[in-house]
Amino acid sequence: MARIYQVPSHTRLWLALAVLLCSIPQLVKGPLWQAGLLVLVILIRWLVEQQRLTLPGRMVRSLLLIGAVALTFYSFGRLYGPEAGVALLVSLFALKYLEVVQQRDAYVVIVLGYFVCGTALLFSQTPGMFLYVVLCMTVLTSCLVGINHSDTRASGFLHGKRALVITLQSIPLMMVLFLLVPRVAPLWNMQVGGDKARTGMSDSMSPGQISELSESAELAFRVDFQGDVPPRAQRYWRGLTLSHYDGRTWQQAVPKGQLESEYLYRRGTEKPDWYRKLESRRSYEQERYLYEVIAEPSQRRWLFSLAVPFPLDGDMALAKDMRLVANQPVSQRLAYRVESVPAINEVIGLTPQERQLMLSLPQNAGKKARGLAHQWRKESSSARDISQRALRYFRDQPFHYTLRPPRLTADPVDDFLFRTRRGFCEHYASSFTFLMRAAGVPARVVVGYQGGEQNDMGTHFLVRQYDAHAWSEIWLEGEGWTRVDPTGAVAPDRIELGLREALENSEDGRDLLADLGLRRFSDGGLFAKVSQWIDYVDFRWQTWVLGYDRAFQSDFLESLLGAVTPARIAIALIIAVAILMGFYAFFLLWQTGNEKLTLMEREYWRLHQRASERGRPLVAGLTPMQLCQAISEQWPQAAVAAENWAKYYQKLHYDPLSPPDKQQKRHLRSLRNRLYKLLD
Amino acid sequence: MQALDKALAQVGRVVLGKEEQLKLALTCMLANGHLLIEDLPGMGKTTLAHALARVFKLEYRRVQFTSDMLPADILGVSVFDPNTQQFSLREGPVFTQLLLADEINRATPKTQSALLEAMEERQVTLDGVTRPLPQPFFVVATQNPVDQAGTFVLPESQLDRFLMRISLGYPAPEVELQLLAGGDLREQVRELQAVINSEGLIKLSRVVGKVRASHELLDYVQRLLDATRSDDRFVAGLSPRAGLGLLKAARAWALVSGRDYVLPEDVQAVWPSVAEHRLSARQGGSVAAITQSLLQSVPVIRR
Repeated sequence: MARIYQVPSHTRLWLALAVLLCSIPQLVKGPLWQAGLLVLVILIRWLVEQQRLTLPGRMVRSLLLIGAVALTFYSFGRLYGPEAGVALLVSLFALKYLEVVQQRDAYVVIVLGYFVCGTALLFSQTPGMFLYVVLCMTVLTSCLVGINHSDTRASGFLHGKRALVITLQSIPLMMVLFLLVPRVAPLWNMQVGGDKARTGMSDSMSPGQISELSESAELAFRVDFQGDVPPRAQRYWRGLTLSHYDGRTWQQAVPKGQLESEYLYRRGTEKPDWYRKLESRRSYEQERYLYEVIAEPSQRRWLFSLAVPFPLDGDMALAKDMRLVANQPVSQRLAYRVESVPAINEVIGLTPQERQLMLSLPQNAGKKARGLAHQWRKESSSARDISQRALRYFRDQPFHYTLRPPRLTADPVDDFLFRTRRGFCEHYASSFTFLMRAAGVPARVVVGYQGGEQNDMGTHFLVRQYDAHAWSEIWLEGEGWTRVDPTGAVAPDRIELGLREALENSEDGRDLLADLGLRRFSDGGLFAKVSQWIDYVDFRWQTWVLGYDRAFQSDFLESLLGAVTPARIAIALIIAVAILMGFYAFFLLWQTGNEKLTLMEREYWRLHQRASERGRPLVAGLTPMQLCQAISEQWPQAAVAAENWAKYYQKLHYDPLSPPDKQQKRHLRSLRNRLYKLLD
Repeated sequence: MQALDKALAQVGRVVLGKEEQLKLALTCMLANGHLLIEDLPGMGKTTLAHALARVFKLEYRRVQFTSDMLPADILGVSVFDPNTQQFSLREGPVFTQLLLADEINRATPKTQSALLEAMEERQVTLDGVTRPLPQPFFVVATQNPVDQAGTFVLPESQLDRFLMRISLGYPAPEVELQLLAGGDLREQVRELQAVINSEGLIKLSRVVGKVRASHELLDYVQRLLDATRSDDRFVAGLSPRAGLGLLKAARAWALVSGRDYVLPEDVQAVWPSVAEHRLSARQGGSVAAITQSLLQSVPVIRR
């Protein structure tokens, strides 16, 4: 019986499908030659199946193997590391598939397949990818079912169905293992590329950069508030402060000679002076917001938060300019919890070096603007007064808020303030900060996001790239750094309602929105609903599944078990698995023990029951005709109806040549109903 | 199927008032099974066997079993022929198409089992030479249930070889009157017309296998068999061979009744004659009563 050890033909199709599906995630992002290799392998197998080719010999396979290894090395520069390793694995997987002859080989390919499709999750952990991996595993399981059913005549479709049932049955078990098996700290630090950031904030600001961002509806981050939610006009998500201006571009800068340990505070390190001051005031303030931010990968280190953030999780630092800095660039989704206390920033003083930096201006830029600033300074009594004048200037002069500002010539500051007067938030923030510095008020530009919209389904907020914003902060004696948003003076709608509504309200804005394809998010139609739902699922996936990390797990286990000890976890696992297995076993027993009666059988017993109830009790062992006779004896008027019923019934039920169809069953029921009424 | 009705009518002319038993005997022959008739002497067993042989035009032999009988008396023996200087086989009475084994329980177990083996295998091996028995081959054995002195009772395992066991019983008064008024029975048997020949009978028994049995019917048969096994009034339940025999008999009964599919009535009709002789009750029980009660208690339609 050597045949039995061969892979049955219907399973060979499943196997080809499984190999293809498992490899696709790698093929999509890997080098092109890998797709070529897989196509070649599948083509060869197909030709072999058609008996136009014999399986390639050892020589050809060896050459292919050497070629695949060499190409992997050529493409990645090495053979280890996650990307190169997975690429090599997928190539070897395809080559192993090429040499499947016996069941044994197929088992190797299938087991390898489970591993290969698992590696897809190294690079992407979206719910979609998870579902895709489950699909791959179902197809692989179909192969297993097929191989083990090689001696039956079941079709490949049935194997797929059975595999689907097996997969669905395994999901509760998977959830138990997910919840209870202790998370181990990674044995090695995987530097996986992850989703590449397509758009996002850069570490500098020059005209046109933020308006570019505004054309993207991509997600920047999500926020889940616990408790109070600040009003939209207060939701300024600070990302970076920019202090150095070269006449065109604002850049991040720290005063010369500033040590990183004084500038950044990490939990667990020595607290700098400014942080102690902040912390001492933290508990006095009433107004505070607790929230979790789930940042999309940006490949940058800065994180977004409301003013005066106190990080509640590790792995990030608080900088002296009141923003959060991650320890590593954000290459995968990152969730962090923050408590923000808006009212305490005045306690940090301004060092002379910082003051000098915050007043510095490029030599040759903005001659006219400087004149204007000097004039304001002379006429004003305080820094606050100067900023009010500047805002009034923006409001009174014909400034215009637009996403498509005209190009600025040689001196951007003067050109914008006195000639074009059409601009976007970055123009206003930049020129306002310039004017403040020229008037002797320490000022800086802050870039980040403003606003964010709430998802209909959840409690969380979505902040998209088009929420990108720039504003200013000025230093007021006794009040500390104070936020001033000059854009609000020009286009209050932008702050109060958000960019989209602001544009909706202006005529050219609407056209622009349509151009950018942003309108669809606001029209409330089916698309909006679906996209809201997708976002909600994604958000929950992030918070409940990917967010279920070691800390979360130990909290959960503690509340479940009292104390987290290996013994208790083991007992909980055993109990949970036993309950599940018991449930399955019970279900199986119940299903086999309680085969459903067919309609024909129910029809008979209904009549039997009725006759027993109305007349003398009847024994169980009556053939339809005997039942008819028993009825005729007791109800002579029903004799004809009974005989009609019994003849029809025995023909339908006992002649395998005429299994009852729907119409006949209906007729039988009507015969029975007629008889039923006669039994009184 | 008119031929079958005609055959029944023919046999009915000599075995009066026993339609049910005749139909069972015919069913047994169509199902290719052997028949055991358990009755007192003089009830018409021989007449029945002889009449069956006549209407089906079968070669017929009769053996009266006695306690001094040897297997060779039935199967045959090799004899030395001085003329040819060789052994030649003298065939026993078993080489026939219908063998009436009268009072089978009088023979020793050795002789009984020689016959029963021949019945099962439908061939005889003598001196290392295997010879097939004629086709078709039926055994109608009789047994006296009352006079048990000096008999060797057939054990259940041997009884299993008989597809059916029937008993004729006394005739009804008016039938007996008719019998008394009639002429010589032997004469009448000889006058019976053959209805089908033996080839026709073989063909008919092939048709039996084509009688349709629905899944629901098989389910009923299985539940009946199961009931004998789980009923602790029996020493042991029916064997799978008995189950196959029951189904075959039911098919043949359906054919004799002129139907091409099996009804539960057919199963019930052959049930006592197929099941009773294979079962034995624990002390004090009547096998007939218990097998009958199973027909009442086992649901015909699954529930």
